[in-house]
Amino acid sequence: MQKKICMLGGFAVGKTSLVRRFVQSIFSEAYLTTVGVKIDKKSVALPDKTVDLILWDLAGEDDIGSFRVSYVRGAAGLVLVVDGTRAATLAVALTLRERAEAEFGAMPFVLLFNKSDLADQWAISDSEINELRQLGWQIYLTSALSGEYVDDAFRQLASMVTK
Amino acid sequence: METLRQLLVGREISELSRVAHLLDEPEQLAAAVGDVLPSAAARAAHAQLGEALAPAVERAVQRSIQKSPRTLTDILYPVFLPAIRKSIGEKIDQTFQSLNESLRHIFTWRGLKWRLEAWRTGTSFSEVVLKHSLVYRVEHVFLINRNSGLLIAHVTAENATSEDPQLISSMLSAIQDFVKDSFNEKEQSGLDTIRFGELRLWSEVGPFATLVAVIRGNPPEELHEIIRDVLLRIHDESSQALEQFDGDSSQLAAVETQLQTCVELKQEDSNQGFPWLVVAAVLLVLVPAGAWFFLSWQSGQRWQAYLSRLGTQPGIIVAEQKMRDGQFFIAGLRDPLAADPQSLLSGTQVDPARVHSDWQFYQSLEPEFVLKRLTASLAPPDSVRLSIVEDRIVAEGEAPDTWIDRARAAAQQLSAGGPAFDISKVRDVSPEARAAERWQAYVSRLQTQPGIIVAEQKMRDGQFYITGLRDPLAADPQTLLSGTQVDPARVHSDWQFYQSLEPEFVLKRLTASLTPPDSVRLSIVKDRIVAEGEAPDTWINRAQAAAQQLSAGGPAFDISKVRDVSPEARAAERWQAYVSQLGTQPGIIVAQQKMRDGQFYITGLRDPLAADPQALLSGTQVDPARVHSDWQFYQSLEPEFVLKRLTASLTPPKSVRLSIVEDRIVAEGEAPDTWIDRARAAARQLSAGGPEFDISRVRDVSPEARAAEHWQHYVSRLEAQPGIIVAQQTVRSGHFYISGLRDPLAADPQALLSGTQVDPARVHAQWQFYQSLDPKFVVKRLTASLTPPKSVQLSIIQDRIVVVGEAPAAWINRARAAAQQLSEDGVTLDVSQLRELSLAELNHLREAIQATAIFFYSGRVVPGPEQTPVLDRLADQLKEFAQNARKSGVTARFMLTGHSDAVGRETANVSISAARAETVRALLNKRGVAPELLQVRGAGTFEPAVPENSRTGSSTNRRVSVTVNLD
Repeated sequence: MQKKICMLGGFAVGKTSLVRRFVQSIFSEAYLTTVGVKIDKKSVALPDKTVDLILWDLAGEDDIGSFRVSYVRGAAGLVLVVDGTRAATLAVALTLRERAEAEFGAMPFVLLFNKSDLADQWAISDSEINELRQLGWQIYLTSALSGEYVDDAFRQLASMVTK
Repeated sequence: METLRQLLVGREISELSRVAHLLDEPEQLAAAVGDVLPSAAARAAHAQLGEALAPAVERAVQRSIQKSPRTLTDILYPVFLPAIRKSIGEKIDQTFQSLNESLRHIFTWRGLKWRLEAWRTGTSFSEVVLKHSLVYRVEHVFLINRNSGLLIAHVTAENATSEDPQLISSMLSAIQDFVKDSFNEKEQSGLDTIRFGELRLWSEVGPFATLVAVIRGNPPEELHEIIRDVLLRIHDESSQALEQFDGDSSQLAAVETQLQTCVELKQEDSNQGFPWLVVAAVLLVLVPAGAWFFLSWQSGQRWQAYLSRLGTQPGIIVAEQKMRDGQFFIAGLRDPLAADPQSLLSGTQVDPARVHSDWQFYQSLEPEFVLKRLTASLAPPDSVRLSIVEDRIVAEGEAPDTWIDRARAAAQQLSAGGPAFDISKVRDVSPEARAAERWQAYVSRLQTQPGIIVAEQKMRDGQFYITGLRDPLAADPQTLLSGTQVDPARVHSDWQFYQSLEPEFVLKRLTASLTPPDSVRLSIVKDRIVAEGEAPDTWINRAQAAAQQLSAGGPAFDISKVRDVSPEARAAERWQAYVSQLGTQPGIIVAQQKMRDGQFYITGLRDPLAADPQALLSGTQVDPARVHSDWQFYQSLEPEFVLKRLTASLTPPKSVRLSIVEDRIVAEGEAPDTWIDRARAAARQLSAGGPEFDISRVRDVSPEARAAEHWQHYVSRLEAQPGIIVAQQTVRSGHFYISGLRDPLAADPQALLSGTQVDPARVHAQWQFYQSLDPKFVVKRLTASLTPPKSVQLSIIQDRIVVVGEAPAAWINRARAAAQQLSEDGVTLDVSQLRELSLAELNHLREAIQATAIFFYSGRVVPGPEQTPVLDRLADQLKEFAQNARKSGVTARFMLTGHSDAVGRETANVSISAARAETVRALLNKRGVAPELLQVRGAGTFEPAVPENSRTGSSTNRRVSVTVNLD
């Protein structure tokens, strides 16, 4: 079972480094700047089956206008990545999700607040995160440095897209 | 019953009748069904509905096309057009490829083989070529979901490897999207070819899935069709599974077998080589044939060249020629004297062995051949020249009559048909006639010779006889023979000598005997011998004697035109003596001298120190009035003159003596180095060509004199120094003694010694200090003692010292006191222009500072926090005050006085008050006030601000106060 997953997030939020340690990859990161997308694979073993998540890592853009929405076609789910030390990237991630869903309909997603290791520069308040959780969103505070919760997030998304 | 029925089912009955009515009325039924038809169609099972509708739809479409094909064409146009366009493009590519392949293989061995195969199997040649020449292999086939880019199925050829196919298929569709987005391509088909070196990716796009084939090598265009067929088949078989694909490919396992058919497509490389065999065969035929053609063409060309050469040859007539089987045949006539046709062959590169010639000899009557033949048969003498003039042969020159006779005979023969032979220009010169002629020429030559008289001559039997007179000075008859072609052996002559009285012989004899001087010219004028010119009387006497002798029968000798020139000659002799006397004089050089018309001219050079040429004239008997001299002065380099000049220019001191020793000038004695330097310079000048000037024997006696000079120079320098007064100075036995007064501010006499070349060790100085009243020194002293503020300037104006500027009153007072003192010494210090510094502003600030106090809690030495603003303000005020004071040239100092209340013991109070002042000092320092401006004292209880009683204490008295002082 394979599923196409798109990873969306603003510029330099750490999407690429977040998955680097957890995925199978054959393409260089130069693809991000040339083709605008890099494809990795993450296999997640669920109790009843194994799901291959084909991760489309889209080049992070703060300029929403240059977002290639066509890459999202056929995606089963989204990974939204936010840089926890830059509050503005939350808005970017949410806008990207809106663009994607406006084009291809609602789809399951997980929201990752990345760089949780930089506690002293943290710019997102707990109350804000709690509000989002109350919308029923799956939210994880992750760190590319420690790898904290990254696997959990993918496992959660895998079970969501195969339901 | 009816009523009961009406009651029980009346409503149903009316309802039934409404429905029946509805079913019976087609219009109403159609309206009812139309209401539910869309939702009914939507709910129907797809397959069944499709089957049910298919025939109807097919018929409908058929009818529509029959009715108006245009409508359906318009509808389908956007769908057809891209498909048609693509199909045509591929067809053209296919055609080009097959054309290329055909062209490439037309001339190869394999190409021939394939033609044979095409002919045998009845297929087209290009098909056979494609079948054999395309080398490719389909290595991978991917079937990719068109929507998500997820891999549906993937098959690989044997031994082909690749990375994770799932990732590749996603990336491929990402790249498809990328190209489509980047170039705004609307076409649905997408990227159909990607090429990377040997690898090609061909993709075929279907409605739900894309098939990508990875091909290594050079596939035929037809492969597109094969791939498309496979994709179509897959769509046919599994259309529903493809449409619903959501990442689970277990439903689509059957697809792989279809893909496998693609992977099996391959065309192995076959050994493709250059068609050596065919080329060799062709070469085998072509090379000899070409060579044969070329060689025969070339030999024909050469033969023609040879023929045309023969045709231009005189004496050769070509009658017939032909070429056959590489052999050449030629026949014709040739004159024996004409060029040999065989020898003409050489250089034409025609093979002589293949030339068969048949030449008949004939005599050519062309003039040149006739001339040749005549030359051979007549053998004309050297004096005859034969030539061809306008087709006639002409003989010219001289010949003996015998030859002329033979020539005439030949001419007669030729007249029979050949060219004319003209011998009219040949003169007959038989030997006798010639010899006689020559003799006569010789005799007549002799007869014209002066001093030779031919008496008799005759010829007999080839011998010649001659007699006569000859003067010894006349030409020798024998030598005249040479060049006459008369044989001397056959000449018999008899000559008598005699003295010819012909004037020219007489002239010769006179010239020999009288030896006239150069100034006399002898010539013959109308048989008379005339002497002209100038001669001394001795020669004239001898000439007169000769003239007398000649008068006896010879020609007249006229000497009347010879002028007697002996007086001039004598004067000239004397002049020469005088000139040679001048020549021996030292310091005189005679450049040029001459005599003209009894006047003497002389020019030359003379040293002013040499003897006077005019004075030398006396006693020479040369008349001074006739001497015209032009003398230029010059400096003679003869030693005696040089000595004289050196003495005049160097003025050697009495202690030096100059003399000449063997052409060298030698100086001896003693002299100061300055003189020696000048003498050395003169010696150097002379070395350019004059006599040597030796000064090595002059001793240098200057060091003492120079030391004295340097000392005097130093002393006069000291005397010029302001603030130094030299009282006394002496020189004694090489040591220098000096005494005097000096101002402490004046230059150091010792330091002034440097650069004077006076040896400090030999200087003994005694200086008393005094205060110079020189204004410069006074200013220096005042500057040191009064330390004027920056706003004040001291300057010297006409020996008066003037002080200008602003200063505090205290300083002005000190300056005035100094002025008073100085006036007693006669020095004027003008302080009238000093203005008192205005301190009003400062005073205001000073009052503010002095009104400030820092307060303390009982027993504490650190002020409470409420004092911080007071300290801040105070620090600012102090800094401002210090800065302004400095600007005015005064230094402000602040006294911090600590105080205590009267509680407790006095000693403790004193120390606590001092500690408070120190604390404030530290706090102010921390706020940027320079510590050296702050002074500290403790006043204890002695300076209370308010009177107090010692039991309660007073917070007003526990303070630190500030006083401002100006230096």
